[in-house]
Formats: sequence, structure tokens, C-alpha cells
Amino acid sequence: MTEATFMGVPREKIMWHPTIDYAKCTFCMECAAFCPHRVFEQREGDRRLVVANPNNCVVFCRACSKTCGPDALSFPEKQATIAAIKQIREQESVQ
Amino acid sequence: MKTAVLSCTGLDKPEGSVAREVAIRMAAVADSEIVCPVLLNRSLARYKKVFAESSLIVVDGCSTRCASKLAESLDLKIDRKVLIAGALKSSGMTLEPTLRLASNGEALAKTIAEGLAQSFLAPAPALPSGASSTEFPLPGDYMVVTHDKFEFRIPAAGYWFNENDVWVRPIGDVARIGISDYMQQSLTDINFVDAPAIAQAVEQFGELGTLESSKAVFEVVAPVAGTVVAVNPEVISNPTLINEDPYGKGWILELKLSNWPGDQELLLNSDAYAKTVKHKAEEA
Repeated sequence: MTEATFMGVPREKIMWHPTIDYAKCTFCMECAAFCPHRVFEQREGDRRLVVANPNNCVVFCRACSKTCGPDALSFPEKQATIAAIKQIREQESVQ
Repeated sequence: MKTAVLSCTGLDKPEGSVAREVAIRMAAVADSEIVCPVLLNRSLARYKKVFAESSLIVVDGCSTRCASKLAESLDLKIDRKVLIAGALKSSGMTLEPTLRLASNGEALAKTIAEGLAQSFLAPAPALPSGASSTEFPLPGDYMVVTHDKFEFRIPAAGYWFNENDVWVRPIGDVARIGISDYMQQSLTDINFVDAPAIAQAVEQFGELGTLESSKAVFEVVAPVAGTVVAVNPEVISNPTLINEDPYGKGWILELKLSNWPGDQELLLNSDAYAKTVKHKAEEA
């Protein structure tokens, strides 16, 4: 399997994934059913939904949040993420 | 043309109460027909004549989008969508935490209903949002990426891509934007385009509206920074044009470029995008 990258930067170095606000989440599982990249997983216990595979999340995709009725999913600011990606590219001289 | 409004019932969240109020106000100010979602779910026949004669406006309270999903499940053609939760965020207002409509909710519903009524009752502008003075030649040649029985076309030159499968075709200081053949096939039939407003400014990787299919909601991630100067009216009225001709008639909008060629640094040319598509198809 090839290493996952985004804009030439290793995916695990990019902070981009949903964060679940458990005060709002109703565990309807719409997001888990929607996301084809298996970012979410269902678990036993109080927190029945977790972001199990954050690096599977497509950088800049926020589509799951558009399925969330209680508005319980949030993402980082895009501009901050872009700045971080550019910085890593410069450091690693990625072309 | 007459209008009909299918809205959220307003019995789960305060946003829903606003959606319901929009439907009631539209009936008052624009003589719209109110479509009860519960009754519609029981009896499509009740509204058959209404749908034949009216433009359909769907008003969802929250992102669960029950009203939209109901309309889609019944294969209804939606002419306009409003998401109260989105309008609320844009307005900077907060709603009173009650299902009974209070003053903020009422004010928001009034603003939305008046805006809708105006756009449907006012005469159409002579040149709708698709007026473009720039000529955009169609791709001459295509590269083809194959995976199993699927074939994904990519224009051989003149197009740039971000890794979110959105293309940009710059000509001078204007560029057309659309989605790739790979993405349109992944989404399957696109049934609704929520395009940004004319004159809206966007940063590179900012949001340029959404596309909806029965399979997914897709955020159009801006490949370049600029200001929206045109939206393709044919794609708004017939979204499956994106599926039929993603690099030609299925263009979505045009931007006046504000940082070209600087933005190119973070884009892929056709060769690099072909490798990305191959990788995505294998991983899917």
C-alpha cells in the first residue's frame, strides 16, 4: 500500500478530522452511515460513536457535518490547516 | 409560476419552528401552497396537481434535512432549498430555546420568506447568473484512468485540480470551476446544486457551495481564490449536466481570479491528478 499524502505532505502530519461534541451528539449515527472512509466507529458504552480513524478523513471535506442535525461535528479552520501544510512543504522541500 | 413550500414540521428543534413559519408566511405573502410533510408522506396524490403547477421550495430546519430527504424519496423536483440552521449561522442570530416561535425566530422567518417571495415574484433578470463574456474552449484530448470496469476521463491540458476532485480552467483573469469525472461518477446522479452567490469572495480551499446526490453531499472546495462572477444557470435547473459533461456543459461557476498563478502551487496538473485518481480508485 502506498503512503497516504495530501499535497505531498504525509497525511498523518495534517490535523484535519471531525471532533464530536458529546453534549450535542444524539448518536443517530447518520454521519457514520454517510462517511465512506470509515472515519467514525460505533462502540459500546456511553460514547457510542468515536472518531476512530482521523487520518482517513479527506482533508478539507466537511460533508459529514452537513448531515448532522444536532450540529455536533466541528472541523479545524481551513486557513490554519493550509498554513500548516505550506509550512510542512517548505520544511520538507516538497515539490 | 406558482410556488409550493414543503417545510420541516417544527416539532423537534427551534430551527424547525422557523422553517414552519417560513412556509406559513410564504402562503401569506406569495400565495404559496403549503405542503404538509406528514400528509405528503401518506398521500402523494393529494399534492400531485400542486407539484405539476408549482416551483417547489424545500425548507429544512436542521441538517438532518427531513423535508429534503422526503422530497428526494418521492422524486420531486426541488427548485430552491433553504436550511434554517445555515441561515441562522450566517445571520449571527441565536434562537430562543423553545419550540414555540419567539421574536428572533419570527424575525428570521420574516427575512427569509420576504427574500424568497421577492426572488420568485420579481421578473427574471435579462441575463441570469450565467452571463460570461470569456470563451472557454472544450478539452481537446483526454487521459483515461481505468479501474476495474470504470473509466475516468481527465482533460490532457488546460485544467488544474485540487485533491478534493474540483477542477479549475483559467483563461486570463477568469476561471471556470467544476468537478472531475471521477467525482461525478462517485456521487452518482446529482440532483441539487447549492451554488454560492454572485460577488461572493472565496479563499483557496474555501467552500463554493454543495452538490447533493442520493448518495452524498459534496462540498465544492475552491481550487483557487477569487470572486464569483457567474453561476451556470443550466446546471442549476438540470444538475445531471454535471454527470453528463463534467468538463464542458457541466461547469458550475466562474471566478475572477485573485491569486493566480500563486494558487497553482497547491494544485495538480493532469498527470499528477491522474495518479491521484488511480490511487483513490484503488483505495475505495
